[in-house]
Parts: sequence; structure tokens; C-alpha cells
Amino acid sequence: MPDFLGYAAIQTLNALSFSALLLLNGLGLSVVLSLMNFVNLAHGSFFLMGSYVAIFWLGTGAPWWLAFPAAFLAAGLAGALLERFPFRHFYARPHLMQVLLTYGLSLIFADLMRWGIGAQILLPELPGALQGVVFILDMPFPVFRLFLIAAGVALGLLLWLLLDRTIWGAVLRAAVTDRGIVETLGIDTRRVFTVVLVLSAGLGGLSGALGAGMLAAYPGLDEEVLLLALVTVVVGGLGSFGGTVAGALVVGFALTFSKVWFPEFANLAAFAALALLLLLRPAGLVAPPLRRL
Amino acid sequence: MPNATDHEGRASSASARAAASAAATRRLLLVGATAGALAPLATPALAQARPLRIGMVTSLSGPFAALGESMRAGMRLLLAQSGERFADRPVELIVEDDQARPDDGVRKARKLIGQDRVDLLCGVIHSGVALALRDVVTEAQMPTFLLGSANDLARKAVSPYILRPTKTNWMLGSTAARRSHETHPGARVVTAASDYAAGREFVGDFVQTYQEFGGRIGRQFWTPLGSADFGPLLTAIAAERPDSVYVFFAGSDAVRFLRQWKEYRLAGRIRLTGTGACFDQEDVLPAVGDAALGAVNTFHQSPTAPASAAFVEAYRTSGKGLPGEFSTTGYACGQVLRAATERTGGDPTDWARTRQALFDAPVDTAFGRMPFDPRNGQAILDIHVHEVRSAPGGVINTVVHTYPQLRDPGPNA
Repeated sequence: MPDFLGYAAIQTLNALSFSALLLLNGLGLSVVLSLMNFVNLAHGSFFLMGSYVAIFWLGTGAPWWLAFPAAFLAAGLAGALLERFPFRHFYARPHLMQVLLTYGLSLIFADLMRWGIGAQILLPELPGALQGVVFILDMPFPVFRLFLIAAGVALGLLLWLLLDRTIWGAVLRAAVTDRGIVETLGIDTRRVFTVVLVLSAGLGGLSGALGAGMLAAYPGLDEEVLLLALVTVVVGGLGSFGGTVAGALVVGFALTFSKVWFPEFANLAAFAALALLLLLRPAGLVAPPLRRL
Repeated sequence: MPNATDHEGRASSASARAAASAAATRRLLLVGATAGALAPLATPALAQARPLRIGMVTSLSGPFAALGESMRAGMRLLLAQSGERFADRPVELIVEDDQARPDDGVRKARKLIGQDRVDLLCGVIHSGVALALRDVVTEAQMPTFLLGSANDLARKAVSPYILRPTKTNWMLGSTAARRSHETHPGARVVTAASDYAAGREFVGDFVQTYQEFGGRIGRQFWTPLGSADFGPLLTAIAAERPDSVYVFFAGSDAVRFLRQWKEYRLAGRIRLTGTGACFDQEDVLPAVGDAALGAVNTFHQSPTAPASAAFVEAYRTSGKGLPGEFSTTGYACGQVLRAATERTGGDPTDWARTRQALFDAPVDTAFGRMPFDPRNGQAILDIHVHEVRSAPGGVINTVVHTYPQLRDPGPNA
């Protein structure tokens, strides 16, 4: 019996750690999508860029924990530049134009990264502190995954506080709802949107840095994580922070336990369940809160 | 309740938009891919003597991009070493990208045959592309050196226009079972592999051969190609408590699996055996390092076999690391093409004569001495048993045993 309990506990932790990664990955995308109504398919590029930054940082022997802020800053900087040109000019355009622009950019970034770094698969050298295992009911579980779970919870909380509980978050939400009114209050909404995009790109980079330990980094990872992020955000429901959290948990558990129960049909089982969920709740798990007057 | 309605409408249209954008992404991906594929390759044609034109179809984008680049690099190295000439005839190599998709591969092969009028065709990594090309080149009577490794290419899908200077999957799966039985008879083995054609063949041949020796097979795990997280699988394997695991994963799957194999502390507790591709010297081992230490694998390619020493040295001096399967495959294929040209006095296009010349005597390649089986045009290869050991600057596949001159059961299997 303890065997079974340990097994169930570890598989649950597996699902939680994967959910944490999905959450980090999805948050950046959902922030711009729900707050700015901007579809950024180049989000996967920020993720991959963050992975590479972290891998090179950890390879240099500098303090390991700085790799994560470094990835955040690098991707945030890229986001700031892109926001000035050309993203800013596309906020008011239809979604299809945004998709064309950002998807095209993601192809360019993929080629640039492949040209600069190469096609080989890279893994970060994790510090000793993250390499260990803890034994839970006699089953080993990697410390790194606990770190992922903790990072997901901490960053999720931080972002929620920032957007839902600060005056800055209130300004931002107001700017999304009615930009004109907020401008009349003397607030430069352009700057607000710049900050959101930098935050989103930075989150992408940071999640790439954290995710590299599980996913490795290689050309093509950008598209894989973009797809996972889209699934997470759509399942959870657009426009709400809680939705992304719920989406990450549901997708993480679905993908993990489908592997446990039906390993041969893992993707089929998981995505069929998610499709069914969307049929039942087309708006996603958490309907977005009312923000329009 | 105007507000609520509005809010509902907004939410569902937003999610519809996101879903539409996901669909649009896939469509755009296709458009982009096609546009890239259509970009013409520059083909200079200014040689005085008509150069020998070799077409290569390989994967330069998509999931096997890194492997395809290695294959091309191996072939280019051989050409450079030969002074871009075979039997004193200039050689021109035209490389096309199949993106690991059968329809693209067919289109590119038709382009090379019809438009570029290549004299010889070679390449291919993905088995699906290889099987699709089999019909195209047979119909066009195009002399082809096909490098995919599906068993059927040496069996049901044999073609008189195809020679195969590489392995079949059976060669690796069956030798791994033989080795397991010889070193650890009676061990209970579970298998874990990517769920696609190659994985099914490696594991199927392993299981069949191992059971013929009277071995015990436990659960068989399959995961989708391109799994992000191997934690659930590894936890399930740990709960099975087998003596050993036989695995096949490739590329990023292999890297993730091996890294997590170590993270979940299975390294050292359960013996790890697998196909060589899962421990590829160029593609996988540099990334995973000591996570693969002690693992045993069977492979036709080896960085430590005597036959490959000269190639390994040349490849390293060309600025790359140790070669893996596909750089060696590209190079060995080039060696076979060179031998075919030399043995026919510079004109290998008389295919009946070229085939016979290659059947008459083996070719010395980076895979070792390579005779061809006249029944199916399949190379007969040495299969090495490797143990991953530490070496200066990383880990290396070290030959611990060799099954010499293995011949696929062929069309009668």
C-alpha cells in the first residue's frame, strides 16, 4: 500500500511540476493577450531565448540564481525593442495582422538563434543545490522539480498581486477597458502598454530559463512551447488570471495522467479531454471577470 | 442584463479568436514551409567536362534538422577530401530539404530527378520519406542510395534501383537482445520507446529476439514522439522495478529522457540499454554528459571502432565534435558513391553495371568493410556494442564487443 501511495504522490508532483512550467509559460502570453488584446506568436522565441541565456549563464560559473533575472532582463529588453517597432503599430490592427506579424518574426528569430547558436541540443548545468532528490514515501523526486513548483507558485502570486492588488494594475486594466478615459486622467497609456509587453517578454524568458532544466533547448522548442501556451490559455479562459492558473493545472494533470494511465494514447486521451472541456465551456474554465462598463 | 450579455459575447469571441489564431498558425506554418522549400538552390553549371551530379534529399528543417545537417556535413567532408572529384570527374552536390515529411520528400526528389537531372540520388533520414521515395525512384528508374532504416526497405520494399549503405532497424534491435541475453541471461527487461515506426521496429525486434532466447519481457511503455516531460514514465518504470530497460528515443526526446533518468535516480539502480541513436555521440551525448554513463547500446556507427578512426580525426579537425550516426552515414554514403564512380570508370549511370561492381567487392567505409547483399541491395554491417564511458572532455561510446558482418534476414523474413 505505501508503494501505491508513494507512486500516486510522485505522479501528482510530476503533474504539479509540469503545471508550474505551463503556468509560467502561459502567463506571459495571457498577459498581453487578455490585457492588451494582442496576439503574440513570437512568445515562444522569448522562451527559447531565455533558455539559451540561462544555459550560457550557468555555463560561465557566475552565481547560478542570477541566471533567472538575466534571462528575464534579456528577453524583456528584446520585448522593449520590439514594442517600439513594430508591435506598437499593430495594437489596433485586427488579430490576423498581428498573427502574421508575430509569426513571421518568430520564424526570423528561430533562424537567427539557429544561425548564432547552432542546431545542437543544449542542457543547463544545474547547480548542486538543485540536483538532489527528496524521498517521498520511499520514492525519489528531483529537487529541481520542487524548485519549479515553488517558482511557479511564487511568480504566479507576485503577478496576481501586481495586476489585481496594486494601483498600477488598476491603471492597466482601466487602460485596456477605455484608453481614452485613462488618457484624460493624465496617464501615458503607451508607456503602460510598453511595460506590459516587457513584462510578458521577460516572463517568457524567465520561464525559458526555468524550463530549460526539464525541456532542454534546441531549434523548434519555441514552437512546441508556444503551442502548449496557447492550449493553456485557451483552456483556462482568456482575460482572467485565475483562468491561466486553472488552465495550467488542468492541462498539466491531463497530460501527466494520460501518460500514467494510457501511455500509448497519451496525447489522444489528453487532448480529447481538453476538447471536450472546451465544448462544454467554450469560454474556458474561468469566465473572465466583468471589466467593461 | 446588457452587461452580462456583452461580457459573454466578448469572452466567447475572444476564445474563438485565440482558437482561430492557433489554426491560423498551423496554416501559416505550412505556407511558410512551402515558400522556404520553393526557394531555388543555386546550381552553378560551368564545368567543362559534364560534372557528376549527385542529388541529396535530407531533413534540414523540422524535427530531424540537426541530423540532416550532420548528414550533409559528412558528405561535404568526403567531397572536400576527394578534391570535389570522383575518378577525376568533377562532382556537384545538390541538397534538398524534405522537412521530414513524405510529401515534401517526394516533391524534392521529383525536382532533383526531373529538373536538375541528377545522375545519382542519395539521402533521407525519416523512414516515411524513404518508403515514399522508394516508389518514386523505382518508377523513374533512378539509381538511389537510400539511407532510411525501416526494415521493409530491405524486405518487402526492395527495389532494383536502390542500394542501402546503412543499417536496418532489425540489426540494432536484435543484437541488443543477443547482448542482453549473453551478459545477463534471465534478466527481466521492460521497454520504453517513442511511439512511431522506428520505435516499434527497434522494440519489436528486441522483444522478439529476446523472447526467442527465453528472456522475460515486462511492461512495454510507449510515449508520443516529442514528449515534454518524462517524469510520469520514469516514475512508472521505477515502480516496475525491472532488472533492465531497453529504450529508443531520438534527438530532444533522448536528451530529456536521459537527463531525467538521472534526476529520478534510476541511473545505477536499473541497467539501461538501448539503440545507438538514443546515445548518439554527436546529437545526444554532448548534451547529457554523465547522465548516460554506463549505458549499453548497439550501433553500426562508432567513434571508437578502428574503421572510423580516420574519419573521426578528419571530422574533428573540420571544427566539429565527435561524429555521430548521420555525419558518418553521409560520409560513408559518399565513400560508396566514390567507389561506384571509380569502379565504373567515372560513369556510374549504367546502373546494372554499377550495382554489379558494388556487389563484386566490399567497399571500405567509415562503417567498416561494407559488402552489399545482392538479394536486396542492403549493406552487411558490423554492429558494435557500446558502453558509455567517461573520457577527457565528456563521455564516449566505447566498443566493448562487435557482432561482425550482420546480414538482414532480407526479403524472406
